[in-house]
Amino acid sequence: MKQTYNHYVQFLLVLLSVLLLFPLTGCWSSHEIEEQSLGVGVAYDKAKESMIEKELDEQGEGYERKNLITSTYQLITPQVASSNTKQGGPQQKSYVNVSETGDSPFQMVRELSLRSDTPFTAYHMKVIVIGEALARSYSLEQLVDQNLRDNDFRPSCLVLISKGRASNTLESKTAGEVPAFHLSGMVDNTYRTTRILPPMSLIKLASKIQSGSSFLLQNVLSANGEVKFAGAAMIKGKSGKMIGFLNEEELEGVTWITGKGKGGLVKSFDKKTGQLIVYEIESMKSHIQPYVKGNNISFDVHIESEGRLSENRVVSGNPFENQFLQKAQKASEKEVEYLVKNVVEKMQKEYKVDVAGFGNRLRIKHPRVWRRVKENWDQTFSEVPINYDVKLTIKDYGTSGSKK
Amino acid sequence: MKGSEPLEMINSKDCITTPQTTIVVTNFILGTGILTLPRAAAEKVKTPDIWLTVILGGIIAMIVGVIMVKLSQQFPERTFYQYSQEIVGKWMGKLFSFLMIGYFLTLGGFHARSLAEVTEYLLLEGTPKWAIIMPFMWASLYLIRGGINPIARIFEIIFPITVILFLLVAFMSIKIFEVDNLRPVLGSGITPVLKGIKTTALAFTGPEIMLLILAFMKEPNKAGKAVLVGITIPLFIYVITVVMVIGALSVDGVVTRTWPTLDLIRSFELTGLIFERFDSLLLVVWIMQMFTSFTINHYAASLGLSQLFQKDIHPFMYGLLPIFYLISMIPKNINDVFKLGDMVGNVALVLFGFLPLFLLIISKIKGRKYETNL
Repeated sequence: MKQTYNHYVQFLLVLLSVLLLFPLTGCWSSHEIEEQSLGVGVAYDKAKESMIEKELDEQGEGYERKNLITSTYQLITPQVASSNTKQGGPQQKSYVNVSETGDSPFQMVRELSLRSDTPFTAYHMKVIVIGEALARSYSLEQLVDQNLRDNDFRPSCLVLISKGRASNTLESKTAGEVPAFHLSGMVDNTYRTTRILPPMSLIKLASKIQSGSSFLLQNVLSANGEVKFAGAAMIKGKSGKMIGFLNEEELEGVTWITGKGKGGLVKSFDKKTGQLIVYEIESMKSHIQPYVKGNNISFDVHIESEGRLSENRVVSGNPFENQFLQKAQKASEKEVEYLVKNVVEKMQKEYKVDVAGFGNRLRIKHPRVWRRVKENWDQTFSEVPINYDVKLTIKDYGTSGSKK
Repeated sequence: MKGSEPLEMINSKDCITTPQTTIVVTNFILGTGILTLPRAAAEKVKTPDIWLTVILGGIIAMIVGVIMVKLSQQFPERTFYQYSQEIVGKWMGKLFSFLMIGYFLTLGGFHARSLAEVTEYLLLEGTPKWAIIMPFMWASLYLIRGGINPIARIFEIIFPITVILFLLVAFMSIKIFEVDNLRPVLGSGITPVLKGIKTTALAFTGPEIMLLILAFMKEPNKAGKAVLVGITIPLFIYVITVVMVIGALSVDGVVTRTWPTLDLIRSFELTGLIFERFDSLLLVVWIMQMFTSFTINHYAASLGLSQLFQKDIHPFMYGLLPIFYLISMIPKNINDVFKLGDMVGNVALVLFGFLPLFLLIISKIKGRKYETNL
């Protein structure tokens, strides 16, 4: 009797263990990767329905919505992915762009499921591009709210602004290229130029907006299926809306003020001969020192950099002699000073906005003063005197020395 | 004296060493707090000095921990459930013990629920809560059936994994770290720092387990050291967490995030390594920590019931499973979950912040009386 009982227990235990193997596969609510389209980029624009959408709408039976935003999703669908790998080389576009128009970004994403058998997923979203027109009229906070809340949309996703239509930046004519990857990869080129901002991810954007201070977003232009980073868009902290652009040169000025550049160049001209001198940045440091006297706030900007003479067209110039190097240094320093003054003037006079982080320095050095002025900082900033002090050092001049 | 009295349920072989005790305390402290502490503290402090608040909170926890150790050391080889009746009388002692059991039950339910909330949204979307909580509880049951020794030993395995993976993941976020977010230090003076102390001190709830496991220690005289080290380790982990999270998200940004520490790890990708994303690593570590915390709650509550009713512990272990489950299902939404956490914290403040000191004083007075009467 006891024997058979033990047998039963044993049998039950074995059965249970076998059954437990099933949950081990962990495929509860699993979705096959072949049945999903991976979203890698999204562009938000002011509403403009695509041809397909218009035709679909004309046939009626839509849903109630205000046509405010057009979002264009860049997808890598299983069809595209497999056709590329099979034919041994990319013969065609390796992405699909789909547009949806509506008022809620989340609803637009889900509308995609009505148009495709492979639903949209955002695990691999790399970049959000926002069109100028939309950024000027919408608070960015509201615009990216869904993306920040979402569980598969990662906060590491990059945010860019596009002068013109954002959806165009997600087009490419190069076979095999995915524009979204292209854009997110370009951000890493900061070691080559001072005209790229440190990457602004979704989470950093949220923090900036929360803090209420104004900031910059990289601006990207597109023409004929090609893109270019060209300057930056200024976002007013209070409203979260875009108020204007800085061109490439002005952005360079901001980089010098913040000292966050990793490489790049300064092009200047010799005072006497008007000939070209190019200084290559190897390191860059800046220090913004705020001073407070009563109600008067002022800033000193100390910029230091070390680098190399990378191009020299000054015929009489002999880099083997320190005298010439100092002359070249002076010329480059002048240029940097001009860049910095130029952008500060634009910030203070034209836009009355602080996007270079002066307020941040004041917050750190004089927290009590900052609490008093932070409400109206952009306004206060526009009248603050700023002094500059630029010091460049040319350490070497490459493999060629003097010109005869 | 030793062995002259039959001690209920405590097997003389079921002992734990001093390092094991330390690890139990550490593992019990690390729980939900590691994901929410930066936000909870930032809401109160509002300046980047949160890391100072965390350190102060840790020091308070150490003081309270030492008081609890001193209390327990008065009654060797006996747990709080057994000796509390001796200090304040049968009924009061039973009341305190039941309150404590209730605390462990609620805390366990809270742990299970927050585990389910995070896992359901960020790891296993679509898996129902019960399917997440139940296996978790069963595994815990399986573990605690063996007594305190197997618990301590599995913790010894989990602990180094936690520390290594956590540090790895935390330091990788250096990519998005900005020192400016942590400055100025003490820009608004010390007042804001003090405002958050309650929040951060409550993140260190866990040393109360010393009231129970001191009885199982091979060398109870080293319990003070164990609890101090046991609090110092989570203190380091918390400070690193807070510094990295505030450094990346800034104080303004962190207050809006539900699970800031997870957002930190979700906010960067590193190319070139085998993995680009490390959220699952953090979640693995965190889930293991939730498991250890839950296990201790489960064990402590079962131990309490078995000692109060002087019955075998195993039926209580099984019997408590549905209670834990029901408690974990009480909160209707995520705000209720956080509220439950706050409530448990407040109970802990009274039950373990003030009560042990009070009991220690009484027992000292009583002890002296006893001596003079001799």
